[in-house]
Amino acid sequence: MRLRVDGQEVETKEGALLLEVARVPTLCHHPQTETRGLCRLCLVEANGRLVPACATEAREGLEVRTETEELRALRKTLLEWLFLTTDLSLAPELRTLLEEYGGEPERWGEVPRRKGREALRDNPFFLRDYARCVNCRRCVDACGDGIMGVYALAMEGRGLLAHPTTPLDRPLPETPCVFCGNCVQVCPTGALRPLSLEV
Amino acid sequence: MRTTCPYCGVGCQVEPEVRQGRVVRVLAPDIPPNHGALCVKGRFGLDFPFSSKRLLYPMLRERKGAPLRRATWEEALDFGAERLLEVLKRRGPEAIAVFPSAKTTNEEVYLAQKLARALLGTNHVDHCSRLCHSSSTAALSRSLGGASMTNPLEDIGKTDLFLVVGSNTTETHPVIAAMIKKRVRQGARLIVVDPRYTGMAEAATLWLRVRPGTDLFLLNAMARYLLEEGLWDRAYVEARTEGFAEWQASLEPYTLEAAEEATGVPRERIAEAARLYATTPRAGAYWAMGVTQHTKGTATAQALVNLALLTGKVGVEGAGLNPLRGQNNVQGAGDMGALPDVLPGYGKVAEEGVRRHFEALWGVPLNPTPGLRMTEVFEAIPQVEAIYLIGEDPVTSEPYQEHLKAKLRALPFLIVQDILENETTPFADLVLPAASFLEKDGTFTNTDRRVQRVRRVLDPPGEARPDWWITQELGKRLAKALGRPWREYPHPEAIWEEVRQALPGMMGGITYRRLEAEGVRWPCPHEHYPGEAVLFRERFNTPSGKARFFPVHPTPPAEPPSEDYPFTLCTGRVLFHWHGGTLSRNSQLNAAYPELKVEVNPLDAARLGIADGEPIEVVSRRGRIRARAWVTDRTPEGVVYAPFHFAEAPANRLTLDALDPISRIPEFKVSAVRLEKVD
Repeated sequence: MRLRVDGQEVETKEGALLLEVARVPTLCHHPQTETRGLCRLCLVEANGRLVPACATEAREGLEVRTETEELRALRKTLLEWLFLTTDLSLAPELRTLLEEYGGEPERWGEVPRRKGREALRDNPFFLRDYARCVNCRRCVDACGDGIMGVYALAMEGRGLLAHPTTPLDRPLPETPCVFCGNCVQVCPTGALRPLSLEV
Repeated sequence: MRTTCPYCGVGCQVEPEVRQGRVVRVLAPDIPPNHGALCVKGRFGLDFPFSSKRLLYPMLRERKGAPLRRATWEEALDFGAERLLEVLKRRGPEAIAVFPSAKTTNEEVYLAQKLARALLGTNHVDHCSRLCHSSSTAALSRSLGGASMTNPLEDIGKTDLFLVVGSNTTETHPVIAAMIKKRVRQGARLIVVDPRYTGMAEAATLWLRVRPGTDLFLLNAMARYLLEEGLWDRAYVEARTEGFAEWQASLEPYTLEAAEEATGVPRERIAEAARLYATTPRAGAYWAMGVTQHTKGTATAQALVNLALLTGKVGVEGAGLNPLRGQNNVQGAGDMGALPDVLPGYGKVAEEGVRRHFEALWGVPLNPTPGLRMTEVFEAIPQVEAIYLIGEDPVTSEPYQEHLKAKLRALPFLIVQDILENETTPFADLVLPAASFLEKDGTFTNTDRRVQRVRRVLDPPGEARPDWWITQELGKRLAKALGRPWREYPHPEAIWEEVRQALPGMMGGITYRRLEAEGVRWPCPHEHYPGEAVLFRERFNTPSGKARFFPVHPTPPAEPPSEDYPFTLCTGRVLFHWHGGTLSRNSQLNAAYPELKVEVNPLDAARLGIADGEPIEVVSRRGRIRARAWVTDRTPEGVVYAPFHFAEAPANRLTLDALDPISRIPEFKVSAVRLEKVD
């Protein structure tokens, strides 16, 4: 099938996601975890409508734009708010992206930080530092349907209080967790990280 | 830098990040076989090379009773060669055994068996597969003419029904278990045959809780039922198999009623499992130690082979017969000829044509008599006077520990080549410190025949050297004294080049250069060939090209429960540990599972007044160990389950050394024990 991306004609296969033909930043998307459509960084304009490239299938004749003024402004704001509310000091790639889009988080003044909770150290292998979490859900999906089928992680709370944790917030050793660390590998912000990196 | 995980046979690709001499993080690349996923061992257990128990310099014992003392490499290698030559001269090649390691690389295994055969002239060559899948390989070899998974791991995504027998996959091959469970979430069915409520049983669509050791009866009954119902693949059986009529007649006693009686599984469920397996075209069988570690291990694996042939499942995409291999390079160790009856590539030592090929390559005459198997070698001490043991801890992993220790004490000369001190090191007369997987180059072959690179990330600590270097240096000294040729290799790649030359049809197309991108599966005869995914599509690797049915019948366990020893002890592994524990207990993993826990059914616990977490003693006719009771209905009534990873409480102090008559695998899955409370 053929479609146009930023004026260029491209060819792709049936069922392909727009993400496969459009070069756009992503955060929540991860090929192994099947997470999609949460962070909105990959929004593109398709026939005039804004849609997430990671959750939209390519269609014959579609006209896709990836870098309009509107999209740039949107991504800039999204990134600024991520930095305002979350400790992203262990996410250098996001910092680079913020700079690429000319983001200035300070321009919004003081906003409530999402969660100031202490890092949880409840197992011998990795810690959970939710002050660094952007709720991308990759860890939840890696643990559940995406890879392991273990379901030791779930989202809890709403709005600014929402974050992934264990069912009933139990310590990990009291959950079905098998400590495969696949959640740690897919975490984009260092919210989940090996204890061996700490010393 | 990318390398291959050294734990199980899945062969996950890993990228360990080393900072200041420590592994600080392990990531997995998005390539086969694991596509970015790992289990706890690969993710957090790769720090054992930094353990304080590393062997850092050679040590030797001048005479029995003397202490081990530090030696230079020169001194140690000369000493080893002299002692081996002395035994060879006095007693002949039959008095020497060489055990290459399924934890070392293909190149190292190839070299070690070459040293045994081309220099010492002995076929007493074997490896730890004797203790795990030797019964599967026996059954698969005689029926199909090949001993490996018939289907690739990618086929899991194309399989509509999994028949998993005696495999605690979620703990022993966690990444494969995750793939299977994911496929089941997409709608595939999962039939699990296991006495224990494992993670696989939890995910199963149909769980058949057989009594321990009755799988064979169940599988025979499934076959008989399918024949009766006409649910078998007549065309396949006629075109592709032989020995059917005789086998069919042998199934007479295995009615569903008799099977229910023998296995404890209701007849309707046996029939349902048989029906589902037979009527799903893409139905794959997977199995592990629950099938193999019995005195009827070969027979049980054979029953599974028979069932798959009856229903036309071999040589078919998404189906097949798939033994899940334990060690990182156990497939490769077999491929490279670490077996007493075959040379590299599985050609029999007894066949002149096979020998002639290797005689031409190595420039020496070869011994035509198959050697002893590992379990038999230990029995043959002190007729066997010298053992060159690489990367293995038989004191923890062999059955009936006290007996084995007595044998090792009676052994005149033992070389232990290992990376870490373990329970066998104290018995050594010569200790050769080896490099770990992080400190050398080479290849491992995983469970689905994929040859993958192992890359040097670090320098070996102290004076440790790669196994290939050690074997090469020892060989050099033997060759000089014996006046035999012995090639020297500058790098493992040169050894691999010789393997390609030795096995052109199997490995000819696999080069280090190709392995840069990702692993390649054998058989692979040409460099432009992708490697065979599904084996036996057209013909089997037997002289007639057909697969053969073999009638098999259950036999009772060697040591059934009795009044004094009323429980059946079943040994195995847990998620956090690896075999004898040499690796995992010297890693971060030990913190998650520091001591032995023995699973006891709540009904048995209540009867004996044992509380969860209470210390108990498990006692067999051969010894006793102390453990903590884990009261759980994972394990059925009358059975206790003990992992064998704990040197301070070794489950193999309890097990018995009864062997399967064909493969000589020990019956690790059934010994009689009693439980005692501790005051």
